[in-house]
Amino acid sequence: MSELGRLSLLLGFACSLFAVGSIAWGLRTGLSGPLRGGRRAVWAVCGLTVLAVILLERALLARDMSYRYVAEHTSKDLPLHYAFTSLWAGQEGSLLLWLLILSAYGSAFLFAYRKRLDPFYDAVAMVIAAVMVFFTGLLSFVSSPFRILATPPPDGMGLNPLLQDPGMMIHPPILYTGYVGFVVPFAFAMAVLLLNRSGTRWIEEVRRWTLFCWGFLGVGILLGARWAYIELGWGGYWGWDPVENASLMPWLVGTGFLHSVMIEQRRGMLKTWNITLIALTFLLSMFGTFLTRSGVLTSVHSFAESNIGPWFLGFILIAATAATALILYRKALLESENRMDAIVSREGSFLFNNVLFVALTFATFLGTTFPVLSEAVTGTKISVSAPFFNRVNVPIALTLLLLTGAGPVLSWKRVTASVLKRNFMLPAFLGVIAVLVALPFGATGVYPLVCIFGAAFVITTIVMEFARGIQARKSAETGALPGQVVSLVQKNKRRYGGYIVHAGMVVIFLGVLGSSVFQKEAHGPLRNGESLKLGPYALTLRGVTDHQRQNASLTTAIVDVQRDGKFVATEHPSKAFYSKSQQPMTEVALHTTPMEDLYLILGGVNEDGSASIQAYINPLVSFVWVGGLIMVFGTLIALSDRMRLRREEKPVP
Amino acid sequence: MGNRVRLAVLSLVVIAAVGYLILTGVKQTGMQYMTVTELARLDHAPKAEGFRLDGVVAPGSVVYDQREPKLQFKMTDGKEKIAVVYDGLMPDAFADGREVVVEGAYRHGDRALYASKLVTKCPSKYEAKGLGKDKS
Repeated sequence: MSELGRLSLLLGFACSLFAVGSIAWGLRTGLSGPLRGGRRAVWAVCGLTVLAVILLERALLARDMSYRYVAEHTSKDLPLHYAFTSLWAGQEGSLLLWLLILSAYGSAFLFAYRKRLDPFYDAVAMVIAAVMVFFTGLLSFVSSPFRILATPPPDGMGLNPLLQDPGMMIHPPILYTGYVGFVVPFAFAMAVLLLNRSGTRWIEEVRRWTLFCWGFLGVGILLGARWAYIELGWGGYWGWDPVENASLMPWLVGTGFLHSVMIEQRRGMLKTWNITLIALTFLLSMFGTFLTRSGVLTSVHSFAESNIGPWFLGFILIAATAATALILYRKALLESENRMDAIVSREGSFLFNNVLFVALTFATFLGTTFPVLSEAVTGTKISVSAPFFNRVNVPIALTLLLLTGAGPVLSWKRVTASVLKRNFMLPAFLGVIAVLVALPFGATGVYPLVCIFGAAFVITTIVMEFARGIQARKSAETGALPGQVVSLVQKNKRRYGGYIVHAGMVVIFLGVLGSSVFQKEAHGPLRNGESLKLGPYALTLRGVTDHQRQNASLTTAIVDVQRDGKFVATEHPSKAFYSKSQQPMTEVALHTTPMEDLYLILGGVNEDGSASIQAYINPLVSFVWVGGLIMVFGTLIALSDRMRLRREEKPVP
Repeated sequence: MGNRVRLAVLSLVVIAAVGYLILTGVKQTGMQYMTVTELARLDHAPKAEGFRLDGVVAPGSVVYDQREPKLQFKMTDGKEKIAVVYDGLMPDAFADGREVVVEGAYRHGDRALYASKLVTKCPSKYEAKGLGKDKS
């Protein structure tokens, strides 16, 4: 069976190569036969990859310990659903998942455009196939998931207990759906440059693909944060770890692109910039995969140092060089059609937004790779961690928050002073009110107050935008307010979907503010009946129990939680000992309310029978998750917008 | 033309501000990588405050007071040892002989690193080497 797996990947490699060559030939000669053949080869890669995944899954589910990958990542007592998801527990399987999603995108792309007989779409398929060549090659020759052990062990090493979590079952596929999907916008951009196409239609298609991937990547990042919050047991959800940064960077650049693309669509400006952002988003998602897999940086994920790093770096360099060369070569195609009229305008605010998103990405990139860079430049290895990112990124992010409020109320081209005054007075006034309300709750410092002001400002501008939209339509329609809001959103899904995404982001900002600045902590050893005070809470130990679970034994503290003297819940912070890994696993107890989380960690049981408990109050954490859901909702609305057909693209003579 | 100049000035201001943030950020929060041997063999107090150390938990050196919680151990790179003091819970994967990364302030007087961050590398793949060779 393992030979069949190897063979399918090898055939996938051959088909990808064939697809690139055949389409290139077809594009050169104008023959439709080679183009058709190339498209079929892309379909074939997808089929072969699915076969390889099925074969590896079969081995994982059967716990066939003769497979190295199975022996490294599963054990016989591992629950079936975790055996299934062990596909993405290690490097080889993760790469296979990458290829699976990549080839699925390839096929989805061909299916979506099956009725368009324009060689442009074949060129897009060719670029996707070129990326497939890399991954099928890597899986065939460098990092094969189908390695067979000379002497199969009686049982496997087991799955890392940190990965035995429901969140980890869905986090990687969703994150990869975002990451990998940026291949499609990249392929569109490269195809435009290769064929020297002008026109705006492709940019609308790219916007939709990007929005789709961007949404998935955002959800993936939040799921990762949620997993870290529940599983890593340090009371937080974001630590500026290299792996987290790796997923954030393409998201940031993608966000920048989703804004600046509007300027290109409205005014035919910033074409070079946009195409650069598309390429950068893809390159950064490849770089992210490289970071998490190469072992050049230390991280909580700390994957094994592996042999694929140089291959990834090589691929990124080739792709970056090709993209840069093409952009320079087709400079004439990317000529701007308009000039900017005024800085204080919608375009100006988007441009400023873009500069800030790129700056945020740059600072994150620099901080993440600083040990490597500083060693190369000065000879001493210097590393920066969370304090650096908080110092640099927080002010940039807050400026972006303020801009979120300013941008949508500035008009295109030029803004008059009276418009400025009319649009800004109320939001600014309510922002100041919000700050005054927050002061008695202990909000101090410039950043928290700016954040509160900005949040109120942005929400007010969004409400005003909705109100203005409804007012403008009032003469045409009457009815209840909710119905009017719905019909307004339906009228312009892109615009109002975008505002909903903004509202979600504001909610996330508030969640981050609350949980970072206002976190409270207490700890101590508790005997039976003793209490720990933390803010309004009293935590009383009621006892300690031991019991068995399928592949682990658990020690659990039973803690009664009182808030303001009233009993609210009994919580069970635990430590699990997995039989395979011989190491304890902290299992956090979480008491969630809309306004705050009570986060309980069992440090351990002492010789005298007392339990060491560490407790945090994390205010507004639920805002982070709820804000994420709002963003998903807004993204879905924006995506459901039917593609408006614009003038057809014509080849430049 | 006036707009182009204004745009350029605005961009320069942003770049300068971000550059300033990055430079001061590195200066104030940057931590120097050192090997245990380099740090242990210093004969005078180092100029830099923050350090980052990679090494292995010296077997038998771990003293853990769960009630505080306070974790003390010696870190080694095979040649020298450095004392590490960490006020916090012992990470799950922490044990004798495990690879750890610590960040914190070094006090030359105590010859100890007061860690503000302690990361334990996951051990699973080191054990995985015990699986032996591939069938050729």
